[in-house]
Amino acid sequence: MTAALELEDVVVEYTPRGRPPVRAVAGASIAVSRGQVVGLVGESGCGKSTLARAAVGMVEPLSGSIRFEGKEVRPLRRRARPRELARLQMVFQNPFSSLNPRRRVGDQIAEAIAVLGLAPRARRAARVAQLLEQVGLAADAGRRYPHEFSGGQRQRIAIARALAANPSVIVLDEPLASLDASAQAQIANLLAALARELELGLLLISHDLAIVRHVADVVAVMYLGVVVEAAPTQELWATPLHPYTEALIAAVPHADGAGTLPLALPGEVPDPARPPPGCRFHPRCPYAFEPCPTEDPPLVELAPRRTAACWLQRPGEAPAPPAAKARDLSPAARSG
Amino acid sequence: MPTGAGPATVVDGIGYRVEAGEVFGIAGESGSGKTMSVLALLGLLPRGAAVEGSAVFQGRDLLAMGDRERRRICGRELGMVFQDPMTSLHPMLSVGTQLTEHVRRHLGLGRRDAAGRAVELLREVRIPDPEGALDAFPHQFSGGMRQRIAIAIALACRPKLLVADEPTTALDVTVQAGIIRLLDRLRHESGLAIVLITHDLGVLSAIADRIAIFYAGRVAEAGGREDLLQRPRHPYTRGLLDALPHPEAAATPLVAIGGQPPAPQDVPPGCAFHPRCGFAKAACREAIPPLVPANGRMLACPVDPFRG
Repeated sequence: MTAALELEDVVVEYTPRGRPPVRAVAGASIAVSRGQVVGLVGESGCGKSTLARAAVGMVEPLSGSIRFEGKEVRPLRRRARPRELARLQMVFQNPFSSLNPRRRVGDQIAEAIAVLGLAPRARRAARVAQLLEQVGLAADAGRRYPHEFSGGQRQRIAIARALAANPSVIVLDEPLASLDASAQAQIANLLAALARELELGLLLISHDLAIVRHVADVVAVMYLGVVVEAAPTQELWATPLHPYTEALIAAVPHADGAGTLPLALPGEVPDPARPPPGCRFHPRCPYAFEPCPTEDPPLVELAPRRTAACWLQRPGEAPAPPAAKARDLSPAARSG
Repeated sequence: MPTGAGPATVVDGIGYRVEAGEVFGIAGESGSGKTMSVLALLGLLPRGAAVEGSAVFQGRDLLAMGDRERRRICGRELGMVFQDPMTSLHPMLSVGTQLTEHVRRHLGLGRRDAAGRAVELLREVRIPDPEGALDAFPHQFSGGMRQRIAIAIALACRPKLLVADEPTTALDVTVQAGIIRLLDRLRHESGLAIVLITHDLGVLSAIADRIAIFYAGRVAEAGGREDLLQRPRHPYTRGLLDALPHPEAAATPLVAIGGQPPAPQDVPPGCAFHPRCGFAKAACREAIPPLVPANGRMLACPVDPFRG
């Protein structure tokens, strides 16, 4: 299966006024196939939103390649976006700012259909009604204005508008972050169902690991601009291979009533303008050993569909949790 | 509270007790009255709001006293932390100024003693290089560090009670874990009582001793952490828990509560939850169910479909 959206070794730099450039994405690869939900997780400032914006052509990468259905995604310029890129859509965190408050939601969805010439004028209203029903709203909801809807409903409208373009891939940047738990659950279910029914590829960017775990088929974990681990969701949660993935999972509190304190990861995310040498995670890593402060570990395949960038995991050996690998280190290597 | 459609009741008959060293959790969806209920006792409600009842803090009723007296208590014996630390931190004043101003004003310390106390507080909330941090400004810190600084300011005068409204909602899980552990350490080490408001039942499960579930301005269910989260009895509590992703059942769809919580000006008659409830009976549409004791907890659901 070839991927519908493929990012390879993407590097994105920002240059703040009067300061050295910041490498927000420092060589990240990710692929999304049709019908597949890919979760992208990491702390704020890890570059996941920048990578999402680069994926749809909203920011220009410094190097690397971004291909959608075999064609290069070029950054937005003053001329119109090429028509074939309309099948690559994006949904943002805050549906209040992405919907026009002064226009009926039906008109906003119809406009997407009209601009792309996807249905003759006479059939647009029926298509709008169908899209609204597809996202779980009443067919006549299009007559109303955005403020008449709750946050969760507005996010459904934003999704309906993205669907109007008949996309094959949608990139969603924190689509659930501004919603209540029950609205989050509703939208998460909707996304999983749409991916299945319409064979949509979804790139779901979120800091909420629990939700990503629930809807994503595959998860990539980012830290300070690089992907440190990627794996099928269940395997990633059962056996995280990178110490950062392990720390992220241990920090999630569970509503089981047990009174267990979540584990805190020591230290702060370093300034992306001055990333640590060697492995970017080594100053916060409980298992850091001899090569970590000086040599940057490459992202390598350790098992089918499982990759990680950690010196503890060696290609050819059976992958195991970081703690088990650290125990097997020779005392000399450990003290380094 | 005044609204466009006339006055609306946003908090209706809330009552609870919090002891020293205890964490009392308040949970519910947005608009359930969680925040308004604590703003009321701090005297921070918007103009035009009316409050009835009493909020007794160390023997004195916060709602009966004058603004001046309440201001003296709030900030000294009663600390506050909000979701966005930038709303409580002054962007143009150094961290040191904000911390020392506080202790000098409320504790009457001299400049040197106040600076010493500020460093001690920053160390307590684990800010690296606390001496250097005194001269820095809020924007120079990450979100998690800013929230820890806001907590340090709230704790500056050794309050007996901390009111924390969604203190970790805007933070990453790794940073959230650090804040939860910090609050837990403070309540154990110094007997700090904490009222913790959050929509995240996971956070309450980690640290709260007792939990109240708010719906449309009233308490739907309240009880001990373990009892309430492991054996929820109100259909709303049950719904909130079912909506959370479960480790064991990752492939099944999440069970979401249908519909949305009502706006304060159109709370339905009877039990406010009945339009979203799968167990509602005719009586639920008529009378507001009273909050009554039920096997060691408080429950406002006469149907009680999950009775043990």
